[in-house]
Amino acid sequence: MKLPWSYMTVGDWLVITVLIVFAVAGMAWVAGAPVGSRLVVSDGDRICFTATLDQHRTVELEGPLGRTRLVIDNQGARITGSPCPRKSCMTMGPARQTGDLLACVPNRILVRIDGERKKDSPYDLLSR
Amino acid sequence: MTCLVAETEELAQARRLVFLALLIAVAVTVHTVESLLPTPVPWLRLGLSNVITVIALYLYGGRAAWSVSLMRVGLGALLLGRLFSPGFWLALSGCLVATSAMVLLYRWAGPRMSPIGISAAGAAGHAFGQILAARLLVVQHAAIWQIFPLFLLFTIGSGVLTGWVAAMVLEQIAKHPIFQKGKIEKVCDETP
Amino acid sequence: MPWNRPLILGLLIALLALTWWRLQPQADEVRRSQFMMGTVVEILAQGEDPSALDEAVTAAFAEMARLDRLLSSHRQESDISRLSLSETGLTVATETAEVIALGLQVARRSAGAFDLTLGRLKTLWALDSDSPQVPSLAAITATLDDLGPEALMLSGRMVRKANPALQVDLGGIAKGYAVDRGIAVLKEHGVTAAAINAGGDMYLLGQRLERPWRIGIQHPRQPNAVLVTVQVSDRAVVTSGDYERFFEQNGKRYHHLFDPKSGFPAQGCRSVTIVAESVALADALATAVFVLGPLSGLEMLKGYSGAEGMIVAADGRLYASDGWAAYQVEP
Repeated sequence: MKLPWSYMTVGDWLVITVLIVFAVAGMAWVAGAPVGSRLVVSDGDRICFTATLDQHRTVELEGPLGRTRLVIDNQGARITGSPCPRKSCMTMGPARQTGDLLACVPNRILVRIDGERKKDSPYDLLSR
Repeated sequence: MTCLVAETEELAQARRLVFLALLIAVAVTVHTVESLLPTPVPWLRLGLSNVITVIALYLYGGRAAWSVSLMRVGLGALLLGRLFSPGFWLALSGCLVATSAMVLLYRWAGPRMSPIGISAAGAAGHAFGQILAARLLVVQHAAIWQIFPLFLLFTIGSGVLTGWVAAMVLEQIAKHPIFQKGKIEKVCDETP
Repeated sequence: MPWNRPLILGLLIALLALTWWRLQPQADEVRRSQFMMGTVVEILAQGEDPSALDEAVTAAFAEMARLDRLLSSHRQESDISRLSLSETGLTVATETAEVIALGLQVARRSAGAFDLTLGRLKTLWALDSDSPQVPSLAAITATLDDLGPEALMLSGRMVRKANPALQVDLGGIAKGYAVDRGIAVLKEHGVTAAAINAGGDMYLLGQRLERPWRIGIQHPRQPNAVLVTVQVSDRAVVTSGDYERFFEQNGKRYHHLFDPKSGFPAQGCRSVTIVAESVALADALATAVFVLGPLSGLEMLKGYSGAEGMIVAADGRLYASDGWAAYQVEP
């Protein structure tokens, strides 16, 4: 049995190399690109802040009542501090899927995840 | 019994037809058997039937390769009861792009390429065609292209593997007298 | 073999045609959110013409804002605030009358478990304030005097109050009604697939990209978990849960779904999800069933042919109406 290399010509090597380079570059591009999701914060009318989800950072958002603290990490985006009375925005779990929403109604902070919808998402909307 | 040139031509034609029929039969069998084997991921198959397409391409040229690959997809789908199912369109689209890639590359590069390179190009085309069809028919959003690079890498490997098999088979076949023009004529001459 | 050349050509053309056909009607969607009615209203409309969608969504938001001005208890000029202030009652807008009529109907059929007249009780509990506390029993019983479905009467557009102190609180059904009207506006603009979600009161119009809408139902005790998923099309889905607005005092949970009989939060359920033909009805039924508890709640649901429900009882057990299984997606 002859090994594959003994059959291969320069042309073969060229074609295979080009294909592998293409695949590896594609993989690097997929890994480097954001998960397809962006975080958009608005005050109900205007967008006041946007960021990609592939980062770790804390943002202080200014609302009519004061500052709402938003944390972005590998779990998604969460509100960890808010001047509103009920703090229900802080219990609204991390938002990471397209369409997920975090809202602080009193402080008028609306955090939404935008982007292409994942096909494996089990539901379109959450009834709560 | 005399042996005329015209008869040799006719004989070669008949032989070619029989061989092509044989190749198609083998391709359909391999394709069907391979479809029935369990795989970790539905799409990940070695694509062994591509060996036959490559052999047909090297023995009889582009048209033969087209017949083998199209017949394989069509008959394979009939046998497995998948005609016009989403899986069939995926297979057909993969086969169209793969065969185009192989035939064009073979025509353009000819002897500068061995079956391994041709097969790798075909496998890459196959992956592209399948994902294209999946994007259009099944999944319907661009995120599916994110799996393409990984799929492509796997498929290049399997393309090299099937190309290697094709190269070995072709080497054996080429030793047979009927594929050596001079010898056949000699055989013919010797038959009185 | 020259016969296969036209075949291949044909197949390639077919593939190209298929590609072109799939790429042409690029289904677009418009997703917009606004603060409204004390919550976030989100509209998601699907279609082929983004500018037409945008126009439709704007019109739907405008209609919902108009209804909010009519039905909000936080706006002085609204029908509801004027009604609460008036001594004996007054004439209200057609829309207001429609909502009150629906509320009174559910109140009657739930034997008072759903009640439009809990305004004073809710103010007393002050669940939305900084530091809610359990009020004194005497204060609670005082607010419960003269309540009940008979305390409010409707004839045509004329609303009558049996007691001047009575405070009307439409609760979720005003929100639900606004969503229903928002959907009607979207339909008038030719939208065939859309979702409006007003803080949990939602309506799902048509289909989500060639399949029904899938709605995850919040697990009442695990904040990030989905209990079950339902598949619906042209239906309202409303969930009422004790986890939405609550406070804890001495280890006990006090939530916003009050039992008009006791004046305390109802004890029978953790959450109730209703699928029905209109959001206002689904919202009213969800509240009524929550207050009635699983068994009487299911019994009452039988009287509403278009409505199905799923209940998580206080002990965590699941109950569902007979037709519920048709909506639920196997996990």
